Amino acid sequence: MNDVSLIVKVVAYILIVPVFIFGSYVILHGHLSPGGGFAGGAILATLVAMLVITFRDDFKENPHEIFSILECIGMIFFILLAFFGLSSSFFHNFLVNLNGLFGKPVHFGVNPGYLNTAGVIPLMNMAVGIEVFSALSLIVLMLSMRYGGERK
Amino acid sequence: MKMARVVTLALFFVFLLITSLAMRPFGKPSNTGMDDYFIQNGQAQTGSNNIVTSVVFDYRGMDTLGEATVLFAAASGVLLIFQRAVTGGKHE
Amino acid sequence: MFEIIEMIILLGVICTSVAAMLSKDLLVSVVLLAAMSLLLSLEFYILHAPDVAIAEAAIGAGLSTAIYIMAINKTDRWENENG
Repeated sequence: MNDVSLIVKVVAYILIVPVFIFGSYVILHGHLSPGGGFAGGAILATLVAMLVITFRDDFKENPHEIFSILECIGMIFFILLAFFGLSSSFFHNFLVNLNGLFGKPVHFGVNPGYLNTAGVIPLMNMAVGIEVFSALSLIVLMLSMRYGGERK
Repeated sequence: MKMARVVTLALFFVFLLITSLAMRPFGKPSNTGMDDYFIQNGQAQTGSNNIVTSVVFDYRGMDTLGEATVLFAAASGVLLIFQRAVTGGKHE
Repeated sequence: MFEIIEMIILLGVICTSVAAMLSKDLLVSVVLLAAMSLLLSLEFYILHAPDVAIAEAAIGAGLSTAIYIMAINKTDRWENENG
């Protein structure tokens, strides 16, 4: 296996923190600005793909079990949030306009954009973001590794 | 044989050109009732400034559930097939 | 003004995809496909769809390029003449 050059490694070290912060921003501000769970999860999975291509030879074990557990946690959290609104209907927004968690009331028109709004939508954004991030990085990890029969 | 291919391609091109000229003007949908309802009431009902997110996660949440399920099934299939590479072909 | 920019971007999309088909070096094809995806996300942004633009830029230009490069790394870089 050919080794990765020094330029790629240095650029990967520089890019880790900005890409992580941008992906987290896109997920957490999904109800205020363009983006959301799918786009933010894809950005974080791009970071994992970059790390896999750059530092593949430094891995001793393939860390795919962590991503498998995270994927199941995101999916279960998403379906559970949908079931919690079952008092009126499936996917009912049961936290909005209650002045509690994510419950600041919003009226029609221009406002500066408060983070503490939109009820259950930010929680669903986080769940879908975790699920998409771990599913896409699981696919990239499994496709990138060497086969057991190739080593002999 | 080559002539027939060229004639077929030219006919297809002319068909696409006529169709694109006969379409309705760009950015003017035929029915706007649903869009107007979402734009007028979406901000007060779901509390989110981004109307696209309020449609995707609240009004049409079932579509997002299906999309997440498809991605989950894809990742599970990849993990199932490539599990042999981790264990080296042996069952644990 | 915006129509001229749109025409230039759509011509760039067509040219990069045709060049990706005709190229014999598969790595060049992958890079050209990433450039096509980036131009397409710019077009989505001009058409007032920033959500789709972010998702297209992340998946088309980031993830699929990485997966294609992994596939080329495991097989051959040059396109074979007789299949």
